[in-house]
Amino acid sequence: MTSDRRVPRAARRAVPPGLLATPALAWLALFFVAPVGLVFWYSLGRKPGLYQTHANDVLTLDRYREALGDTFLTSFSGTLRIGVTGTALCLAIGLPFAYWLAVKVRPHRRFVVLALVLVPFWTNFLIRTIGWQVVLSPEGFASRAMQSLGLIDAPFSMLFTRGAVLLGVVYNYLPMMILPLYVALDRIDGSLREASNDLGANRWRTALQVTLPLARPGIAAGLLLVFIPLMGDYVTAAVLGGARGNMVGQLVASQFQQAQNWALGSAMAVVLIVVIALTILATAAAGAVCTWLLTHRRRRELAGIAEGSAA
Amino acid sequence: MRSRPIVDRLLGVWGLLVIAFLFTPIAVIVVYSFNSGRLLASWEGFGLDAYSAALSNDDILSAVSVSVRAAAGAAVIAVVLGTLCGYALARHPGGRIGRLVTTLLALVLVTPEIVSGVALLPWFVSLGVDQNLTLFNSGWVRLVVAHSLFATAVVTFLVRARMQGMDSSLEEAAADLYTPPLRRFRSVTLPLLLPSVLAGALMAFTLSLDNTIISAFVQVSGSTSWPVYVFSAVRAGLRPELAAMSAVMLLLTLAALAAVALVLRRAGGSKETVGALSGVR
Repeated sequence: MTSDRRVPRAARRAVPPGLLATPALAWLALFFVAPVGLVFWYSLGRKPGLYQTHANDVLTLDRYREALGDTFLTSFSGTLRIGVTGTALCLAIGLPFAYWLAVKVRPHRRFVVLALVLVPFWTNFLIRTIGWQVVLSPEGFASRAMQSLGLIDAPFSMLFTRGAVLLGVVYNYLPMMILPLYVALDRIDGSLREASNDLGANRWRTALQVTLPLARPGIAAGLLLVFIPLMGDYVTAAVLGGARGNMVGQLVASQFQQAQNWALGSAMAVVLIVVIALTILATAAAGAVCTWLLTHRRRRELAGIAEGSAA
Repeated sequence: MRSRPIVDRLLGVWGLLVIAFLFTPIAVIVVYSFNSGRLLASWEGFGLDAYSAALSNDDILSAVSVSVRAAAGAAVIAVVLGTLCGYALARHPGGRIGRLVTTLLALVLVTPEIVSGVALLPWFVSLGVDQNLTLFNSGWVRLVVAHSLFATAVVTFLVRARMQGMDSSLEEAAADLYTPPLRRFRSVTLPLLLPSVLAGALMAFTLSLDNTIISAFVQVSGSTSWPVYVFSAVRAGLRPELAAMSAVMLLLTLAALAAVALVLRRAGGSKETVGALSGVR
């Protein structure tokens, strides 16, 4: 009998499963690892002449010094501000929405609401941003309607400001925040909330000490999915911010597309990656500290209760 | 308990407001596609002029066709590579290759588009010009390769999530009945994977249609994709034709989305689809 079973087992291993991953691995090595590695390599070089884009005959860190100049830093701090504010706003708007969707909406309607969230997600984001440009334009219908209703005295002056850029990025990346939050909240067993309620915790306490800690993976995924693409995005800012919407992505792009200085552009791209990584690490550390404080305090409370009941 | 109805009602209002917020610009674009004026933002009157203008504008039609062809190519590559890879990761998670691929795919997902764009442009130039692989001077090939990377990661994680939710007893039964490996894959594994493969293909397609930044870097003249065309029109002046073409594409995307949603719903995998899509597993 044992030899009977051995034959199909051997047949089952005819193609080792690990082998099936190698085409993807080769593809990524060729078109992801190699090109990104090349960016790091270029960033150590220089632009030798007017008509050449890069040279690595002398390795130097000068491009990084050049990249960290005033223009770049101004634009960078502006981008970082929009990135952090935009991500925070997405969380503030998305969290109550995802909670409503996962807990309050009746199950048979949930699919419909979820589809409604997905539809804008799959519409061209540039077109949606242009839609906002139409809404915000001083001669647009919204501006005229509000003027004729007497709500505002002068035409809209929001287009081509930082506020418009912020509106645009919050709008464009909000679904990326809602989806992981929804998945995380949806997985939490409803009986945990009931138990917390039965044990005398009020709604706010249940939300803060039961639901929110359990939704942590979703919050982390949402923050990543919004913050990273937002930091590299310059299209939204170009449509809604005009000249004021100068994001760092635009600077990097112009080094490659206009100035033809690949060495400097590469150094800027590397700085962008490093700053994004550092911001994520800082946020993760802050999150860990918050969690520790919360659990630490609760443990002390529990100890106090135990002593109280023993006395 | 007394506060419940008020808080619930507030949450409901918030939910509706967010949905309205998400749909505002889409509604505006659809309405303004019927603007008979010359400039998109200034309404002159109702008319279908923009639609006939869009469908007879060669630049617009060629940009849309470039985008659709690139999206089809990227979706095919992503589905082939991602299905194999996702299957391997679910059935053989501990291997060294598996861990390496997972790390790389995660890195692909978190790399900002601008970085991928600036990395791929010099790479294609050095492959196409310096190494004389003329294949990489074709705009279509460049767009397909560039768009396939992110899409491969999405398909892989979708397929892996689907596969992990399924035990391997069916495949083992087929193996015990001496079904040859290829046939086993075709008639047992693939039907099980179909919903995630379909969802992945659709996502790969729409992500590629949407891609602006990477496309702007890797394109060669003559193969301008639709988003890049729209982006250049933002600087040159927006006309209602763009809105009309967008409305047509929105309609087509929605039809495709509805078809896939129907298949997925029948297979009961909507939750895991959203989960895999959003990176939460």
